[in-house]
Amino acid sequence: MAPPPVSETLELHDIQGLVLRGYGTLRAAQFLVLEIVDDELARAYLQGLVGRLNLARDSPAGVALQVAFTAKGLAKLGVPEGALATFSREFLEGMDDDVRAVSLGDLDGNESSGWRWGKRGEPMHVLLMVYAETQPILDRELAAERARFAGALAVLHERTTTTLAGNKEHFGWRDGISMPTIADVPKDPSRTKEKTEKKESWTDPLPAGEFVLGYKNDYQAFTECPTAELHDDPGDHLPRVPGEPRKSLGKNGTYLVFREMTQDVSAFWSYLAKESREPGADACARAIALGAKLVGRWPSGAPLATSPERDRPEQGGDNEFLYTHDTVGLACPRGAHIRRANPRDVHALEDRGHSASIAMVRKHQMIRRGRAFGPPVVATMEPEKIFAARDAPRADRGLHFICLVGDISRQFEFVQRNWIQSANFDSLYKDGDPLIAARRPEGHRNQNDEHTVAAEPLRRKYKRLPRFTQLVGGGYFFLPGIAALKFIARLP
Amino acid sequence: MHRVNAGFTLVLPLRPESVDACGALLTELDADQARLPFARSTTTHFATITIIPAQMYRDRVLPATLLFATSMCGPVRVHVEELVELMGSELRVLFAHCEGFRADFSDGEMQDFMLARRHADTFYSGMNHLSPQCVKRHRELREAIEQFIDERQAQGGLTGSASEVRKEIQAFVRSRPDLAWTEERFEPTLRAWLAYHWRSLVVEGFVASLLVASVVRIFVEAKLLTWFVVGGWSLVVAFLALVVVLGVSISRAEAKQAFVAQRPPDDRARTLASMTNRPVINEFVLAGPIKPEGSLRPVFLQLAFWVVARVVEGVPGMYYVGSGIDIPTVATARWIVTDRGRRVMFISNFTNSAHGYIRDFIETRGGAMRINLSFGFGYGFPKTRWIVSGGALTDPNAYLYSLAQNQLPTWFWYGPHEDVSIDNIKVNRKIREGLFADLSPEEEKQWLHLL
Ligand code: HEM
Repeated sequence: MAPPPVSETLELHDIQGLVLRGYGTLRAAQFLVLEIVDDELARAYLQGLVGRLNLARDSPAGVALQVAFTAKGLAKLGVPEGALATFSREFLEGMDDDVRAVSLGDLDGNESSGWRWGKRGEPMHVLLMVYAETQPILDRELAAERARFAGALAVLHERTTTTLAGNKEHFGWRDGISMPTIADVPKDPSRTKEKTEKKESWTDPLPAGEFVLGYKNDYQAFTECPTAELHDDPGDHLPRVPGEPRKSLGKNGTYLVFREMTQDVSAFWSYLAKESREPGADACARAIALGAKLVGRWPSGAPLATSPERDRPEQGGDNEFLYTHDTVGLACPRGAHIRRANPRDVHALEDRGHSASIAMVRKHQMIRRGRAFGPPVVATMEPEKIFAARDAPRADRGLHFICLVGDISRQFEFVQRNWIQSANFDSLYKDGDPLIAARRPEGHRNQNDEHTVAAEPLRRKYKRLPRFTQLVGGGYFFLPGIAALKFIARLP
Repeated sequence: MHRVNAGFTLVLPLRPESVDACGALLTELDADQARLPFARSTTTHFATITIIPAQMYRDRVLPATLLFATSMCGPVRVHVEELVELMGSELRVLFAHCEGFRADFSDGEMQDFMLARRHADTFYSGMNHLSPQCVKRHRELREAIEQFIDERQAQGGLTGSASEVRKEIQAFVRSRPDLAWTEERFEPTLRAWLAYHWRSLVVEGFVASLLVASVVRIFVEAKLLTWFVVGGWSLVVAFLALVVVLGVSISRAEAKQAFVAQRPPDDRARTLASMTNRPVINEFVLAGPIKPEGSLRPVFLQLAFWVVARVVEGVPGMYYVGSGIDIPTVATARWIVTDRGRRVMFISNFTNSAHGYIRDFIETRGGAMRINLSFGFGYGFPKTRWIVSGGALTDPNAYLYSLAQNQLPTWFWYGPHEDVSIDNIKVNRKIREGLFADLSPEEEKQWLHLL
């Protein structure tokens, strides 16, 4: 593994806070998808917003605001065409694009015709993310913000969120455990991994440029970063691109991928209950065991890789594990959600070693910042209780999957295309991500609705996996740095 | 007959007045694949037929060219005979657009033409010693076994030891007359092994005999022997001197490089992405002039690919040199040096999207250095230093741009696999190879995990 390069220290005063924190203590949140109805007023609103955003430098005091834009939004706000064209192609084309849909596997039930928001034709411009400690504070904050942007922005969609007990997602599994860390974050010991052992570790921090534009990435080079002409920036907000007669519009910004996915908890647990052939004392234990084989962790978060037989809640936060000892997948199936989403040291092994795999997989990491939405099936989120309640009537619930990446194509899209939705990932044959791949049933030219659980002496194959999740909206956004926001808002 | 995989490549300059007509014909053929029935060929894995447009190298025009490239197996003569038999009349119309081909050629003359005009390439196959029939059969075998397992498991069966389970599977396969072929010998014959390695063996044999002769020469005085030793060492020294001279001259040229590829227009990138968006195996063609700086580049290029070809074919017995490269995502790939070293073409059939595939190469340092060696001469490729350093290693974005710049749409592609990856093909082959093989208890366990 290449050592992280020596690079500049992150400019935390110019970076939005979401890059460094998921605002776990701010348990209430709402995301507003907005249309700009008056360009001039919108810029004025954004000028005011600059001072209210939570920065990476500051701990949030009770509330936090973050703002991101679509390509259309930037154009509407008057970002010059030449500058706009320097944003990445994926961002400019948007998530709802015919070619992209095929490549991401956003078909077969996930196509945009069934989306609630984020369709190409929609005038979706701004994403305002509001976080608060409690719901009443959030409501107050939202009301104040709405009053501020009245006449400038119109609310297209309100995306509400819930925080589930035990940091879980709706199926009952703990989420948000595995997270890449960023090197070069200054003066925040809680976030700099203490290096007690000398050995290089899988969880070594990644260079900042993997996630924040304008810094060196894991290739020790710069990720493609949007720029503007010198004369585009009369307010002189943007920093110069070193060695070039241009200004950096991307510096300290990042791309934000938003995918709203509904979760059919009832379908999930009914399938586990009905189909599980995993060992277990009773039907519930067997169902949980199969669930673990689909996710790659037990409900507590304990990884199958290190805890294959049973849940060990004390290992719930463990993220140091590797798959080297388990290439066949006897502990953690090769197609389990977390192993697909991050194959760690067993990616495309054939003529490469495990450290080559890690070097490769490091190029495809994401900072996940998702939040659940909709009511929990059971407030405590205990798997046994969700199992018992599996026939409860369905409700609208799911996950606002959000991730931050420096390169949408290399990070999110690569993972989604080559690992998540691929039927042939890691020598598998007709499998797809058991939680989130759109299902292509038998008869399809590239069937992917099976799940292979390696076992001695022979695998167990789970067939005809129903759809447990559905993509119902989303988009690609740019989360600018503060200087860039001032430029976008045309602060004098 | 052996099943050694090879590239069959024709690089035929088009008659200037024929370029448009040839394009129109290829569009028709691609839309109606039955007209070039590769699917009935027993020797063709993949086929690419496309037009490489006229391109500039310095102030010289490299002519518009028809590129006809199959990934084939078996003796080339058999392959060509088969193609002419299956699709001779359509090929005749196609080749008639090319210089040197006459529309009134008989079938025999057409075969001679194709064999005589075969162009050298550096070819890699992840499917060596497999024929299309093997691929199909291995898959049928796997599906049959999987179904058997599913059924037996549903009845609560197949729970014994690995050895017992394997025996049950063997018995099942033996009970199926349509799978009787599994008992035939599969491993390549000595002849096949030789057909694959002979070029490397000649090189190896020469070096080995030179060493032996040099030692013997110390004790034995013989004129012929002396000549051989002196001549042989002179050749080796000349070769090394050539490498040094070329290396130095290229290093000078590297410093002078003026052009590095820029981000391609988005609509072009999108169009190219849409052409390599099939669910499993995709194909792409790169073709372009080499960098204009350095007049010895064409020579070095040809030499480098000659060496790479030896490595790809494997140098028997010399594992540290590489007994064949194994690239997990590649079904077949080939480099073709044309126009006397001034233009390079690259065709690959591979698993997954083109973008993911070309990224794959540069994600490790070693990978990026190999890429510099094999793509670093292309026009627009980022500046290399001493051929393998710099380049994609220090400027991965420019590497991606340069490939996008040199990628061309493929007019006609035959690729039969809609749902098996090259990885699946390899696993299916292991299932077949291990089915009746003598395996240790541990190997038996591993074999069962292939299913
Ligand atoms: C409703 C949809 C989803 C559910 C229920 C879900 C659930 C989970 C759970 C329970 C974990 C384990 C917790 C952890 O390791 O942090 C996890 C991890 C992860 N998920 Fe998802 N997920 C969903 C959507 C997605 C999407 C859309 C992606 C991206 C394509 C994704 C990528 C990941 C990644 C990268 C990890 C970390 C894997 C690791 O590093 O080991 N997930 N997910």
